[in-house]
Amino acid sequence: MNTVAPDGEQPFSGLDDPPVDATVLRMLLGGQLRRLREAAGVTPEQAGVAIRGSRSKISRMETGKVGFKVRDVSDLLSVYGVTDEQQRKALLSLARQSRNPNWWTKYSDILPDWFETYLGLESAASTIRSFEMQWVHALFQTEDYARAITELGHKTAPPGEIERRVGLRVKRQELLTKPGPPRIWSVIDEAVLRRPVGGAAVMRAQLTHLLEVAAMPQVTLQVVPLIHGGHAAASGSFTVLRFAELDLPDVVYIEQLTSAIYLDQRADVERYLEVVDQLSGEALTPAATARFIEQVARET
Amino acid sequence: MTREKRAEGMGMTSEDTRAAGAASAGGAGALPFDSTVAHQARMYDYVLGGKDNYKADRDAAEAWLKVDPDAAFTAWANRAFLGRAVGFLAGDVGIRQFLDIGTGIATTDNTHQVAQAIAPASRVVYVDYDPIVLAHARALLTSSSAGATDYVDADLRDTGAILSQAAELLDFTKPVAVTMLAVLHAIPDSDDPHAIVATIMDAVPSGSYLAISHGGSDLIPRATRDGIRGVSNQMQQRIAYRDREEVARFFAGLDLAAPGLVRVEEWRPEPDSRAGRSSAWCAVGRKR
Repeated sequence: MNTVAPDGEQPFSGLDDPPVDATVLRMLLGGQLRRLREAAGVTPEQAGVAIRGSRSKISRMETGKVGFKVRDVSDLLSVYGVTDEQQRKALLSLARQSRNPNWWTKYSDILPDWFETYLGLESAASTIRSFEMQWVHALFQTEDYARAITELGHKTAPPGEIERRVGLRVKRQELLTKPGPPRIWSVIDEAVLRRPVGGAAVMRAQLTHLLEVAAMPQVTLQVVPLIHGGHAAASGSFTVLRFAELDLPDVVYIEQLTSAIYLDQRADVERYLEVVDQLSGEALTPAATARFIEQVARET
Repeated sequence: MTREKRAEGMGMTSEDTRAAGAASAGGAGALPFDSTVAHQARMYDYVLGGKDNYKADRDAAEAWLKVDPDAAFTAWANRAFLGRAVGFLAGDVGIRQFLDIGTGIATTDNTHQVAQAIAPASRVVYVDYDPIVLAHARALLTSSSAGATDYVDADLRDTGAILSQAAELLDFTKPVAVTMLAVLHAIPDSDDPHAIVATIMDAVPSGSYLAISHGGSDLIPRATRDGIRGVSNQMQQRIAYRDREEVARFFAGLDLAAPGLVRVEEWRPEPDSRAGRSSAWCAVGRKR
């Protein structure tokens, strides 16, 4: 989870109309605030007073219709008796994410709204689990590999735009090296390793990079060999984001061609957790995965 | 860490255990993963506030808590015992090698974290019979760079596999601390758990240690035990609680560290411990 400066209110205008489409993030945080309020036996009216607002402001916050001021959330947590530092930090971090002018806003010309939401969630996650069938995980891609994929997806884009898209992806990878990085546990299909995106040289460098990333202490990489036959992920690629705060639900992210699906209902999420759990049990162990990738690199 | 499997209160075990052991020993199949059947490790995770559990696990855990409200404290106290026992072994005794059998789903303060916080070069081998629980361990229970961790996919009954694979990381000419927390209840008397423990302790040298926690049949009223049996019928694991004397027999030939065989919350308690009364026995013993 991101660290949060003590009660840093973002200098930001249009407080009730955040420009970043962080719907899921706001709904997550709003739902959590509602549960905490109810558990504390505080009415929406009382909560409204605590943040110099009204019952309807509380209602809008709890249903994720508005962004959150860090100060409001902090005050509410105090009223709800939430004193645990870890819990407060996690929720305040989400509050900040929900309305920040995030680093990626300068890429807004090339970023669809649905993907900005993902970046917000990704930045707030404590654990990222994924299954990849098509490409190497975006956080693990080399610049050349990312460029090759981007060119495939945006055949008519001018070179300047391609470079901006690649730059965005590289920038996003700073998540791996920030202090207190999320744990990333990625299961990938062998086909991903065998598909020489960008040509053999680019792919060899990508495989080498993958080995380096897999050696990072917070990263776990497991390959499902093709020889394994049919496996649990008939669903295709997906990502499960988990947040440090105990009561926040996991979120499943499934990217499609022109949009994305977010699932945060427990019954839905558990279907995907089940698949990724099963896959992690079937896949090669992290140590065997490293040997396997070395072998594929030699054959590429 | 330590968590799950050690569900004290949650215990149980099962026929599945045996099947899975056979499968992993043969390297053929895996414990069938079925999120619709409650699993001790995931129930334990739920009771301790984790997120690695499914509806069936939560339902069974709630049913368990209904018949045995002390189980939540027992689960917590068992995990706290792990931290104090490993802290004692790494700190006071100076053990640098750990064999953690029945790893369960990772939480915080797992064996290697506690040991490596005291002695960074500590080596820990985690053993679990559930490949998915073990996959979590591989992903989440990763060593500091000074020390080492390894993971063995084996049933507790398969002592040969456990010892031979653990020997790849651990030096069996030097003392080893063997921990089996909230796991032996999964082994019915017909599989002779005392012989299993003896076999493992025979393989480690003098000065090695054994730490066990185990649901106490003499700590739980009969009516509660009957209720638990009902719940454990819906689980992958079933439970064989044992009384104080039966638990003491696991330590035959070992010298118990003070305070001896006590309830988990009574073993070298720390000042900030929660109040409660668990239904699990524990002890830490030294091999002569």
